[in-house]
Amino acid sequence: MKQMIGGGILFLLLGIPFTIVFLESMMVIHMLVQIPLLILAGWLMGAGVLQKFPRFFANWNGNGVSGILLVSIILMYWMLPRAMDEALLGGWIELFKFISLPVAGLFIRDSWTKLKTNGKSFVFLNFLSMFGLMGWLYMDAPIQLCNNYLELEQKALGWGFLAITLAMILYLLQNVFMDHSGREHEPL
Amino acid sequence: MGANTVLKTRNNQVVLQLIISGVVIVAMIVFGVIMLLAQGGVIELSAAAFYQMLTIHGTGMIGAAALAGSAVMWYFLDHYVNLSKKIFNTNLICFLIGVVMVIIGVFSFEYASGWTFLYPLPALSAGAWGTVGALLYLGGMLLIGVGFLLLFIDTGRAIIQKYGSLGKGLGWDVIAGKKSELDAPPAAVVASTMVTIVNISALTAGATVLVMNIINVVNPAITFDPLLAKNLTYAFGHIFANSTIYMAVVAVYEILSRATNRPWKSNKPFLIAWTSSTILTMIVYPHHLLMDSVMPKWILVMGQVLSYANGLPVLIITAYGALMIVYKSGIKWEMPSALMFLSMFGWTSGAIPAIVDATIVVNHVMHNTKWVPGHFHLYMGLGVVAMVFGFMYYLAKNDSSIQTNGMDRFAFVVYLLSMLGVSGSFLVSGAISTPRRFATHIPEWMGPAQFGAYSGILVALALSIFIIHFVRYLVVRRKALPTTGRAQQGMI
Ligand code: HEM
Ligand SMILES: [Cu+2]
Repeated sequence: MKQMIGGGILFLLLGIPFTIVFLESMMVIHMLVQIPLLILAGWLMGAGVLQKFPRFFANWNGNGVSGILLVSIILMYWMLPRAMDEALLGGWIELFKFISLPVAGLFIRDSWTKLKTNGKSFVFLNFLSMFGLMGWLYMDAPIQLCNNYLELEQKALGWGFLAITLAMILYLLQNVFMDHSGREHEPL
Repeated sequence: MGANTVLKTRNNQVVLQLIISGVVIVAMIVFGVIMLLAQGGVIELSAAAFYQMLTIHGTGMIGAAALAGSAVMWYFLDHYVNLSKKIFNTNLICFLIGVVMVIIGVFSFEYASGWTFLYPLPALSAGAWGTVGALLYLGGMLLIGVGFLLLFIDTGRAIIQKYGSLGKGLGWDVIAGKKSELDAPPAAVVASTMVTIVNISALTAGATVLVMNIINVVNPAITFDPLLAKNLTYAFGHIFANSTIYMAVVAVYEILSRATNRPWKSNKPFLIAWTSSTILTMIVYPHHLLMDSVMPKWILVMGQVLSYANGLPVLIITAYGALMIVYKSGIKWEMPSALMFLSMFGWTSGAIPAIVDATIVVNHVMHNTKWVPGHFHLYMGLGVVAMVFGFMYYLAKNDSSIQTNGMDRFAFVVYLLSMLGVSGSFLVSGAISTPRRFATHIPEWMGPAQFGAYSGILVALALSIFIIHFVRYLVVRRKALPTTGRAQQGMI
């Protein structure tokens, strides 16, 4: 319940016009702060939603695969430069952002515990190479990808993605080389 | 140790992957022969057709070697850890769909970038092929990669579950002296751990460049740094192609130890060798970039120095181990053990020209000559391929009572000599500075190409005889074993 309220408050804070303008003023913050926070808000609010409708989620997302697929599609969409650009114009796309990303957060919560080790590893590695590619794309693109952000901001975002990729690689390395014997849970 | 475990398998998919790979290898040789005949001036072939064949030959051979190698590895690894059949199955399905996409892309849409799809060639074909061909090829490769990624995620998961971590799968606790050599993971597990590590790295890098190329093909306005692209591409290509031998070599350990009734010891030198090769395999790929003067010098020097050592630790420990295990063992030479032994010879002799070529001074002369295919046709054609067919003979012998005959032994000799002929002709071409990947040759270069073509025909014949033996086994097997299931596989 606490989580649900926390998520709701976070969502409202993110929705204040002032915060929107501020968070979207820079490309890096838009992509790597606002978007993740929206996902987080959804994840937190998800606690309550999952409790309320367990049957629905058991029926439609029994093994977590359909949920994570939906998440991947939503996140892939929001990684496109064009999507960010259109969101800036406000209106429907911005509204869609504020709905789809919390939904993604909700489904991450529901799916991650249901996925088996192999599924989790696969999703993890996919995002790893996707983030690496995004870093590369934004750093290297010789053209301005968005109407609203300058090339320099693109580069900064690229570095941000690269940092995330490196962090994921470090996490992966420590995970597979750390000793898991004698533990109940499966490795990542 | 594995030596005293009885292996009776009824794994249909392992057999299926082997027969597919065997047939694909022979089919690809046909394209190889056609290419050599064209280079040798014997037949006319348009440049476009040549490059399509080059693309399909390279892709098909690496793919078949990987498919067969993974079957070998899976078969033996499955006796030590708990692997998922579903994932094994998914990999094969992804592979087959991917192959169909690749074939359509190459032959119907004339895609011909070579199997290395080096950026920005897929998008910049000067009109030789269009977007559809490129997307089919790149998409097919991506799908094949996804299948293999799943497979290695599963082997990694299973190894960690059983042994605690990938480090322990490589026997690091034994190397550190915390555990006795007697409790070391079996050779098959050590090799599989290595392959898991290097191939997950290779495939994630590969997926990144493939998607990058796809973006560039769809929208050529979005460009990428070509040097980074080349680094990632060869990191993927070098590692993945090399890994085929590290998968197939599991057969050497398991089969020779059974043939001699001696265990293949995972002792400290063996474990250290595998750990060294794990690291080396991943960091020596810059030897493909020795001509790129914009690369930082130290990386190239490292690429050269370490290439000397690339496969060597595992190669030496395995070749030495193979000699030791048969020494005074009273082994009865049969097709499986003979092919395993031959593979050690092929691998070793294939490594020598590679080491020569990895020297920067020599590389400035030999780079992009046919010397390069010379070295890898030796260690793949006489190394990986010998291991794979040796494993096929092993299965036939192990699971059925059909006998090998004079034909098989005859084919063995023909295969040995003719594969040496193919590789030797490449090396000679390289030595007289024939460039690789040229659709046409000047008259001075034609002789070795013709010789290679005729040798290639003999290789195809010899391998067909090997396949016939395997098919005989499949026929018997179908009648003898109507049911399948994990419990009946003689699992331990
Ligand atoms: C045994 C008969 C074979 C023949 C006659 C043959 C022929 C050829 C020819 C003519 C080329 C092109 C050489 C050039 O660059 O000008 C080639 C390339 C290649 N072959 Fe083979 N080959 C044979 C077997 C194999 C085997 C067994 C493998 C691997 C398992 C293999 C893998 C490759 C690869 C990876 C390339 C490089 C393709 C590229 O440059 O993109 N070949 N082969
Ligand atoms: Cu290499």
